Amino acid sequence: MPAISTLPSLRGVNLVKTYGDGTARRAALCECSLDLYHGQLVMLMGPSGSGKSTLLAVLSGLLEPDSGQVLADDEGQLRDVWSLTGKEREEYRRKYTGFIFQGYNLFPALTARQQLEIVLKWGGDASGGEARRRSDEMLERLGLHKNKHKKPAQLSGGEKQRVAIGRALVKNPTFMFADEPTSALDWENGQKAIELLRDAAHDRGASILVVSHDHRILPFVDVYYHLEDGHLERREVPPH
Amino acid sequence: MSYALQTLWHEKARYASGVLAVTFSAVLIALQCGLLLGLFKITSIPIDNTSADLWIGSTAVPSVDLGKPIPNSYITRLAGMPGVQMPEQYIANFANFTKPTGGTELCFLLGSSLDDGAAGAASVLTKEQREALTLPFTVVVDESDVKRLELASPDGKPKINGKEVIIVGTVKGLKSLAAPWMFCSLHTARQLLGFLLPADHVTYLLARCDSPERAKEVAQELRQHYPDDMIAYTAEEFSAGSRWYWLLRTKAGLAIGYAALLGLLVGMVITAQTLYSATAANAKEFAILLALGIPRWRLSLMVLAQSFWVGVIGLGFAVPMCFGLRALAMQFNTDVDLRWEVLTGTGILTITMALIAGVLALRSVRQIEPMSLLR
Repeated sequence: MPAISTLPSLRGVNLVKTYGDGTARRAALCECSLDLYHGQLVMLMGPSGSGKSTLLAVLSGLLEPDSGQVLADDEGQLRDVWSLTGKEREEYRRKYTGFIFQGYNLFPALTARQQLEIVLKWGGDASGGEARRRSDEMLERLGLHKNKHKKPAQLSGGEKQRVAIGRALVKNPTFMFADEPTSALDWENGQKAIELLRDAAHDRGASILVVSHDHRILPFVDVYYHLEDGHLERREVPPH
Repeated sequence: MSYALQTLWHEKARYASGVLAVTFSAVLIALQCGLLLGLFKITSIPIDNTSADLWIGSTAVPSVDLGKPIPNSYITRLAGMPGVQMPEQYIANFANFTKPTGGTELCFLLGSSLDDGAAGAASVLTKEQREALTLPFTVVVDESDVKRLELASPDGKPKINGKEVIIVGTVKGLKSLAAPWMFCSLHTARQLLGFLLPADHVTYLLARCDSPERAKEVAQELRQHYPDDMIAYTAEEFSAGSRWYWLLRTKAGLAIGYAALLGLLVGMVITAQTLYSATAANAKEFAILLALGIPRWRLSLMVLAQSFWVGVIGLGFAVPMCFGLRALAMQFNTDVDLRWEVLTGTGILTITMALIAGVLALRSVRQIEPMSLLR
């Protein structure tokens, strides 16, 4: 594991988010604070409905908190993601963030290579040739080179999740947010997926936040947070 | 292959209704316009079936069947003009036809020179028919009018304006809209019209010119020199003018246009709904692209590209279908004029309709939120 930078790459400061009104009002996040560092794989666990996905959405710039700040490293400076305009936040996500979700959400009509290319061409303004080269490199790294011309229907669940991971990683993001990335996989494929995420953090210096119920992931992570009833607590990672 | 086209191909079944809707609209528009043009071609049959380049008639005559008598002496205005061949007289007038069985119909007499190479003689008349028509009170009709005029009846003799006539032959392809065309000689036409056509008058003067360009120049010159008592048209101008006049006069164009508009609307609604459903079905895939910071306009562009391709594929199916249906219509003696203007216009209208449907379907893109992936 590489040396962790002393400055956080992403800071969540006193984040509060509530849903509903009146008596139905429910706090999803109560003054939650956490720091993510470059090269770290961080896991967020907690029971269903504890606010894990809400915290991920707030930190990634998808859901605005009621109060608090999300400070992200933008070329050496920490900027509050939620003080940016909608367009600037879109630009922030485009430049710095990658996402993996529970469902693979791959376009049924596109090949594995095209799933990655589309992100580079539409999001990164890469030329066709460059997008193809970088997509092929990523698929090679994920062990999917032979499957690059296959469409999702021709891939197994594990392969599909690896394509989804490749789609998130291909633009080399600074931050990566993964929501239950192993829940639809058997443990063999789940382990492969989490190893890929760990390698992305350790080898590429990305800050990766994984939301999961799966305790088997714990040995692979660097930092572990537990969220329950909106309260966030850092816990020790069990020994490998 | 573009992502849009690839998606379309992969999800053929999903997009089929949109493609069919475009095909339906395109076929409807093309056939309606083709039928209309085919129908109104009938109004210019006397012009289109002669070899004259120039038509001289009464002032501001809007259609070939509405000409008023002009003095035969106007022939001198044409004679001697460079590039203009010897002018001919032409008589075109309504007359009353009495069927052999007694009923009456309005008919339209077309009297022309029957000489070899005459500019005014209908091109479908055979040499034998032209010779037969030199006999007084003989006429030729289109075979489609034989039944209507009850000419097969052995009883009685047909009459025009109360004078007995002999049908010496029939031609094909010169169907009439209201009054059957009666082809005859100038002499017969004069005899049958009697006082309806003053002596030394004709309805039109016709001439051939050295070239179509020269015909345009001569028509222009004559219009400038004699603006008050006659009009000069090229054959193309008069033919188009006659069709256009009846198209507007009968409001048939409006009715057909309205029906075509309905077809367009139906096509647009179905296409928009198809694209909307298809985009909604891929909402999660689009949502992840939005989460990755890909601008929404990129997704909109893909939907618009899909709508364009739906239009193009729909048109691809429509073209052979139009020609197939035209061939079928021809079997029933119905002309569907699918000229390039009709096909191009249909193409432009249909693609525009598909693109508007794409714009309408964009509301599905506006509804996509990356947060939906986390709920």
